[in-house]
Amino acid sequence: MLGLIQTLHPEIDPTGDRRPPMIHVENLTKFYGDYAAVRDVSFDVARGQVVGFLGPNGAGKSTTMRILTGYLTATSGKASIDGHDVFWDPIAARRKIGYLSEGCPLYTEMRVEEYLRFRGGLKGMNRRDTNQRLGYVLDRCWLRDVRRQLIGTLSKGYRQRVGLADALIANPPVLVLDEPTVGLDPTQIRETRKLIKELGQEHTLLLSTHILPEVEMTCDSVILIHQGRVAAHGTLDGVRSQYRGKTLEDVFVQITGAVD
Amino acid sequence: MRSTLSLIRREFTAYFLSPIAYVVLTVFLLGTGYLYKNTFNALTTTGPEGVEYPMEAILGSTSSTMEIPTFWLVFLFIPPLLTMRLFAEERGTGTLEMLLTAPVKDWQIVFAKFVACFAFYLLMWLPTILYLPTVMDLHAQWDLHAWTLYSGVYVAGIALAALGVVVMPAGFVGRGFVVVLLGALLAIVGGWLHYTKDQAHVVWITAGIDPWPVLTAYIGIAAVGAMFLALGLFISSLVKGQMIAALLSIALGVPLIMSVSLLGELDPSGWAYPIVAFVAVPHHFAHDFTRGVLDTRHLVFYLTSTLLLLFLTVRSVESQRH
Repeated sequence: MLGLIQTLHPEIDPTGDRRPPMIHVENLTKFYGDYAAVRDVSFDVARGQVVGFLGPNGAGKSTTMRILTGYLTATSGKASIDGHDVFWDPIAARRKIGYLSEGCPLYTEMRVEEYLRFRGGLKGMNRRDTNQRLGYVLDRCWLRDVRRQLIGTLSKGYRQRVGLADALIANPPVLVLDEPTVGLDPTQIRETRKLIKELGQEHTLLLSTHILPEVEMTCDSVILIHQGRVAAHGTLDGVRSQYRGKTLEDVFVQITGAVD
Repeated sequence: MRSTLSLIRREFTAYFLSPIAYVVLTVFLLGTGYLYKNTFNALTTTGPEGVEYPMEAILGSTSSTMEIPTFWLVFLFIPPLLTMRLFAEERGTGTLEMLLTAPVKDWQIVFAKFVACFAFYLLMWLPTILYLPTVMDLHAQWDLHAWTLYSGVYVAGIALAALGVVVMPAGFVGRGFVVVLLGALLAIVGGWLHYTKDQAHVVWITAGIDPWPVLTAYIGIAAVGAMFLALGLFISSLVKGQMIAALLSIALGVPLIMSVSLLGELDPSGWAYPIVAFVAVPHHFAHDFTRGVLDTRHLVFYLTSTLLLLFLTVRSVESQRH
């Protein structure tokens, strides 16, 4: 029986968890016209892992994340979230994801609490669940003091927290965070890192960033993509030893080809 | 279902948080108020001047210099101003991404936005109910001795519904809505029983002017509004800037409205006349809706265009993902 399952579904780990990996990406390619933003990218993210998604600007990080969250469709290849294909079963796949998009766009004319209630309703939660989760995310993202404030009057750091609270509101198993610490001050960055670390205990996280020490502090493993391809994929120590780099920064520079 | 409802609620309340809605409401009420004043004067003048169909005077009267009815010149700008921000603004600020990555289908998003702007459009027409007693020449005869059980239920129902409307803005939206529904139900049942079963009636309303053209005019207004709003929504889903969306929707509305001025110059027996008459919206109102005629050709034209444009909007939103 085990052999049969393995033959039919080689991606399933026969020793432990038989469920499909939380995020499964296979030969993903995305063309914008003639330009290939993502080329033949494949990776898996196991349940409960915190994965750093690295790469220089324009490497295809945001595009990959947008395909995973269903905002864009891939030109070819497959991606699935907890076994739900993002193209064929988009609603079920999107239900599993909380997404913080790059730049964190929000409705600036709404109040924080009102916005989170709206997003909860949009994600199909009833009023009781929304109330319950609202209290949790307001505490978790330090938003209780500003919950009656208009989003347009909030600073960048607070807006980022509202975006994070929105990603968390429906308690999804997967969080996809596109540059969650960009534009924050040092204290806020530290708080956010701490929060990400805590969230990693309950959620599977995929987060993109430029700040390499951040990855070393918060992530279990890394995926480094360069010019639309996966350049390195593995645990932190694995990647470091593979490239004989002392730090992730050495590895990053080595792969992306910048010269000192 | 719950997602669609919360999306409709957001889109609808968003109107009241932007200045454009108040501008539209003001311009609309100034325009229709002016036309109402003219109609009111025509209805009350003595002598050979007068109007036969008051709704035609409101929706169809032309100024001396133009052949286009004044009302339609105002109307041309209203739906584009209501729809311009629906998709274009969201694309501009990036919030469309948050909407398209939520677990809702694309048609639910389009449907919710359409329902919200259509509801606002109907709300915009609501104050014009105040014109109706004059336009229909209503007279009420009160008979305060005709209190019965049924009329009591009827009046209590109306009072309950009014109470619900009053408490809704004070933070009791859900409960207020239930009270309104309950009151409306009581009023309908009580009113119907009072009307059919009782001998004497508390109030007896008679219309001095045929009321049906008013009803058909409102049906036409609702249907044509749906078409123009769907057009604006479609344009808004295609472009990035609000201003471009508004200007394009106005430009595309021009042939539907301005073509009426061609009709005077075309040969009524020629091949072009029926085509222009088929799309010229003010012509439909001048000849049919405001005279109490519900011509199914016009209604089918409006409703199929609405559905086609909404379908195209869904496809256009879908194509964002590619």
